[in-house]
Amino acid sequence: MEPILECHELTKKYGNYFALSNLTLSLERGQIVGLLGPNGSGKTTLIKLINGLLTPTGGQIMINGLAPCPDTKKIVSYLPDRNFLNEHMRVSQILSYYEDFYDNFSTERASKMLETLEIDRRLRLQDLSKGTLEKVQLVLVMSRAADLYVLDEPIGGVDPAARDYILQTILTNYNENATVLISTHLISDIENILDRVIFLKNGQPALNASVDEIRTKYGKSVDALFREVFKC
Amino acid sequence: MLGKLIKHDLKSLGRLFILLHVCFVAICLAGRVFFMNQLDFNAPDMSLLTPLIIISSLAILLVVAINFCTGLMITFRFYRNLFGREGYLSWTLPVSGIQHLWAKIISGSIFLIVDTLVIAAGTLILVTGRNVVEAYNSVSAEFTQVLGMPLPMFALYMLLFSIAGCFSTLIMIYFCICVGQLFPGHRVLCALAVYFIVSFVIQIIVFLIMTVCGFFDFAAQPAGTVSVDMFRLMAPSAVLMAVLTVIQYITVHYIMKRKINLI
Repeated sequence: MEPILECHELTKKYGNYFALSNLTLSLERGQIVGLLGPNGSGKTTLIKLINGLLTPTGGQIMINGLAPCPDTKKIVSYLPDRNFLNEHMRVSQILSYYEDFYDNFSTERASKMLETLEIDRRLRLQDLSKGTLEKVQLVLVMSRAADLYVLDEPIGGVDPAARDYILQTILTNYNENATVLISTHLISDIENILDRVIFLKNGQPALNASVDEIRTKYGKSVDALFREVFKC
Repeated sequence: MLGKLIKHDLKSLGRLFILLHVCFVAICLAGRVFFMNQLDFNAPDMSLLTPLIIISSLAILLVVAINFCTGLMITFRFYRNLFGREGYLSWTLPVSGIQHLWAKIISGSIFLIVDTLVIAAGTLILVTGRNVVEAYNSVSAEFTQVLGMPLPMFALYMLLFSIAGCFSTLIMIYFCICVGQLFPGHRVLCALAVYFIVSFVIQIIVFLIMTVCGFFDFAAQPAGTVSVDMFRLMAPSAVLMAVLTVIQYITVHYIMKRKINLI
């Protein structure tokens, strides 16, 4: 089966600064992958390139065999590291918006999750707390039956209880053939759900291995290995 | 998908747009009832002058304000929806950059054209009172002679020119924002700088065209009518604007297709 994501000598420059430099990697389907690295290592740049929010300076990026285009956007569900919704809209309006544009969006699934979270659909997004807004965003993203979920810092700004809910939501809402790519600094929180990790260092992969490999080969947890590789 | 994008664009600005324009029409109606209808055009000239200057100035101010607000709303919508935080959602919808561009062109054109029509309607409300029409009828022959055509015909031409100008105004706004996005930082400031530079260049070119066409050579010109002079200026200006609009559209099209960088 074709890999869901392939990067070949992918390069992105901002002025004279290389955010990504000749990055080559491939992601298989049906796994949860941690994209880990310190600030400025190129995680968000890679994620934006996957979603067509940045134009590569060089190299190629393919999702399901295609360069980012409307067809790849149909199968990629993206959670940015910031609030990306029009805050004047009501929760119900943003549900309709997703339903309008994404064929694979399940309003029923989203409604169930909102009910569990006791979020009133009549509320405007600007009236929600930061944590609740992040949950709404995650609900929207995970209510799509996508092939690739790309989550940029999904647990960065929420309390530990909310983190558990978010991770549980991710685990229970993706199908086994889909791939989930999660970028985060909070490695210990997500370590248990990861199948594979990619360490990014200065725009290049420092490590691309399964969690089992890391444990058997290095005899360490992902968190411990991360601290060792990126020691200041 | 294009239809859905247009629908959401119209919905997003619709409420504020309608509110603004309803207020405008209401002010025009109030102006007609409480001011224009009270004017006595048989009164001595000097006593008419002050109220007419006041109402004309207020009307011009109001028209400029409503037009400016509409332009600002369209500008903010384009910027926020595509290059602000909301861009993270817009650009990950399964639609192409060109569909985004055309959705914004079509919805923006609808807003600008409706804005122009409402302004025209408001102006008509102000100047179609019986006293104003009677006063105009008494001088209509002279007016027609000066204009070179009846006033309603002249006004209709102006309206059509304004509607045609909506498209180039819109492309100019989108062009400035898109070119501003090519800079690594201070993108809004860069878009503003592009706007002022382009406007300045256009003014210079129009001035040159006017000079080449002999518009300032008063001695060589026969005494023409207002409409003849206007059309003599507008024809080359319209060609210039059409050429500029095409160039700007091609640039915007290229940026939206190949140079998107949300940082």
